[in-house]
Amino acid sequence: MKITDLIGLAFSRLGTGKMRAALTMLGVIIGVASVVALVSVAQGATKGISDRLQSLGTNLLTVSPGFTTTGATRGGFGTATTLTVDDATALAQLDGVQAIAPELTSNKLVIAGTQNETARVVGTTPGYLSVFAYDMWVGSFLNQASVDHNLRVAVIGATTADNLSLTETSVGSTIFIGGLPFNLIGILQPKGGTTSTDDQVLIPLSTARQLFVGSNSVSAIGVSAANQDVISTVSAEITATLEQRHGITTGVDDFSIATQAQLLGTVSGVSDTLTLLLAGIASISLLVGGIGIMNIMLVSVRERTREIGIRKAIGARGRDILSQFLVEALALSLAGGLIGVGLGVVASYGIGVYAGWGFVFNPVTVVVAVLFSLIVGIVFGVWPASQAARLDPVVALRYE
Amino acid sequence: MSGVASEPIIRLENVSRVYDTGKVQVPALLDVDLEVADGEFLAIVGPSGSGKSTMMNILGCLDRPTSGRYILDSNPVDELDDDGLAYLRSRSIGFVFQSYNLLPRTSALENVAAPLLYQGVSRKERLRRAQAALERLGLADRVGHVPSELSGGQQQRVGIARALVTEPALLLADEPTGNLDSHSGAEVLELFKDLHSLGRTIVLITHDLDVAQAADRAVHLRDGRLQDAVPA
Repeated sequence: MKITDLIGLAFSRLGTGKMRAALTMLGVIIGVASVVALVSVAQGATKGISDRLQSLGTNLLTVSPGFTTTGATRGGFGTATTLTVDDATALAQLDGVQAIAPELTSNKLVIAGTQNETARVVGTTPGYLSVFAYDMWVGSFLNQASVDHNLRVAVIGATTADNLSLTETSVGSTIFIGGLPFNLIGILQPKGGTTSTDDQVLIPLSTARQLFVGSNSVSAIGVSAANQDVISTVSAEITATLEQRHGITTGVDDFSIATQAQLLGTVSGVSDTLTLLLAGIASISLLVGGIGIMNIMLVSVRERTREIGIRKAIGARGRDILSQFLVEALALSLAGGLIGVGLGVVASYGIGVYAGWGFVFNPVTVVVAVLFSLIVGIVFGVWPASQAARLDPVVALRYE
Repeated sequence: MSGVASEPIIRLENVSRVYDTGKVQVPALLDVDLEVADGEFLAIVGPSGSGKSTMMNILGCLDRPTSGRYILDSNPVDELDDDGLAYLRSRSIGFVFQSYNLLPRTSALENVAAPLLYQGVSRKERLRRAQAALERLGLADRVGHVPSELSGGQQQRVGIARALVTEPALLLADEPTGNLDSHSGAEVLELFKDLHSLGRTIVLITHDLDVAQAADRAVHLRDGRLQDAVPA
């Protein structure tokens, strides 16, 4: 028999029992739709997280000081005070470096009017704005003059502004940081990140050093590479420069460099696991749908015993009957799969729009889901079909 | 596929069919010898329980003899496997059943075209030949009807059209008038006579001696044994 004849037989049969065909397909429809939708949700969520990470600046490298060893106890990275303002200045001269932002961080009590909060106070340079990809909401950012002359000016993050009940009209007012008066010159746009990127107070590096730390060391240096392609080159340059400046020859560095790319890699690793997990759960419903198809096909073989007998009497071989029933099962599962893909895409569009990461469409998922539904059709169609093929024509013809 | 002129279409030599029910062996056919010549119209007559159905199954290649030889249209049926039997049913035999056995919810045209499906004939050619077969049997205005919309006589004529569409060597009819009123039954028998006069080989299995009158020759089956052949 030709495949077109088999398909014709299958569809004329399914056409005579539309309700049953629809209900049989429902299991596969739900299974495939949930696979497509859940995988899309997982990928959408990943994309959302990646987008936020990228909003922190994809070209960003963060240089942190190394660890100290107290007796036999090794401290964590950042406990040492090996990075200095001079290191930062040296890094700014490197090829491929667009801007740098040394950070000198300490927690201080910040008072504005009657409100107060203990905030992260960061002493930094004008480069901070571009290195960490912030935008101003109102006012202006720290300028070179304020750093050069140890001015007592401050720019605050959006969350800090909220906490202290500061609005755009507050720019120009005086706030107290660590008990000292500062002129509020600007408020940052919120980034909406999950970390406390909007909860901080920025003041000139020199001012922070003079008032709060009193040493030449910085807690981190943010370096912005000119573009993503030169990140590894810049990273190597930074390593070489700092090793030379710190006189390190042993290969054990007293600093570390982290890039956003590493963080993105971690996120995508987590998301792959999440996607696999969700797809696995959804596959269970596809399995149940397959069993539904097998059930209906077995009933159908029983009901159509006489038809099978007639077909054998007029010349059908066992394999003709087998392929007829198998193609019917395949038509059911494939149609269910295609409808499921449609519903899954619509659902993932809806969820994506609602959750705010937009529409994530992955053609690979669609192809895999359709293939999987075909496999379901074959696996759960073969047994009923072989039952049909093995029927004895004498018995089948007499079947009432 | 017809054999040499002298070769009979059917030759049964010493054919027995014994059903093994586990504890007892039930013989349904015993040592049957039979020849049916090309172009012959033979009636096999017997009361119920005489082995008629078994005879029909054996002759129709739906079943194999337990022992003995069966040559159909020069093919040794007793040596064939299931696919071989299916091939013979497809090419050499046209069945006409008592209860018509048309495919339900399927048009007369598709019913008649169905045997050609298993010969690998293209759909266009299948429908053309089915249409021609139905027209020959006076059913040109019924091609689109499903069996439940047809009278018994019409259904049986669709059944005959289906049996003839493959131009088989043997037309095998099992009580073809059994479910019909006397008028429709007489029409069907006239049809068989016409087909016979056109040279078709027909074996008609019936319990009804009057029906058997339509044939050239009748043999009687009793308790699984063939009685003396008597000319009709």
